Amino acid sequence: MSTGLKVKIKSWNGVGFWKWMTNDTDCGICRLPFDGCCPDCRIPGDDCPIVSGQCRHQFHMHCILKWLQTQQMKQQCPMCRRDWQFSD
Amino acid sequence: MASLHITRVKREFREVVSSEEAQKSQIKIEIIDESDLTKLKGTVIGPPDTPFEGGTYILDIRIPDTYPFNPPKVKFVTKIWHPNISSVTGAICLDILKDQWAAAMTLRTVLLSIQALLQAAEPDDPQDAVVAKQYKGDPELYRKTAKHWAQTYAGAPKTTDDAEISAKIDTLLQMGITETKAREALSTHSWNLEAAVDSLFT
Repeated sequence: MSTGLKVKIKSWNGVGFWKWMTNDTDCGICRLPFDGCCPDCRIPGDDCPIVSGQCRHQFHMHCILKWLQTQQMKQQCPMCRRDWQFSD
Repeated sequence: MASLHITRVKREFREVVSSEEAQKSQIKIEIIDESDLTKLKGTVIGPPDTPFEGGTYILDIRIPDTYPFNPPKVKFVTKIWHPNISSVTGAICLDILKDQWAAAMTLRTVLLSIQALLQAAEPDDPQDAVVAKQYKGDPELYRKTAKHWAQTYAGAPKTTDDAEISAKIDTLLQMGITETKAREALSTHSWNLEAAVDSLFT
């Protein structure tokens, strides 16, 4: 005869953990951690994404867009000076 | 929340202080006023095998609101005789402080680039045309003049006998010229006393 204990779940709390997949820990432009957000944002996550160039250098999207806006002549990666192209 | 340029300066400050170059006391950054991090004092030591060897060069660093999207404004406070640095204003001609700036550069890399400029001048892209002309036309005289300025203004160790130079400066002092002006006029005119006197009194 089974004496199985019966458990009734009344409520539960899910805990998730997320992390950007990055080559580096900090953004080379603002020098803040990728796991945080750029200096203009308050909440890390999809609203302040990390983007890569074809040269594989990564930045907060808001930081690299600001940098590209200041470049009139040529749009280069601030790390390696290769022509900046967003990687797919 | 502090704006980006201030937040970044704070992080960079820690980076320079803990850097290997700072440990060897080759470069230094100091805060002048805790409440204003847009004005900093930089120090670069003159590299070996140059006329600037052992000299202490103070730099004035200004951080614009748009930093790091625009470069910091840096100039020499310590007087220096170098083709790419104005012997009068201390303004520096260095590509990374102008169109070759990139947002990933830091105050540490700027100071190291300035130190490298002391090691390898670019006389074809001069900031001070008089110095550049001397550098190309009479390298020995350039070295002698640059060394004399390093010993006088940057506290570089005295390794050469400047008796002849001192005598010429003294002559001009007796004519009522200030020491700085006398040194500038003599350096500009290849230490030719007559030519220096001409330039000062005409």
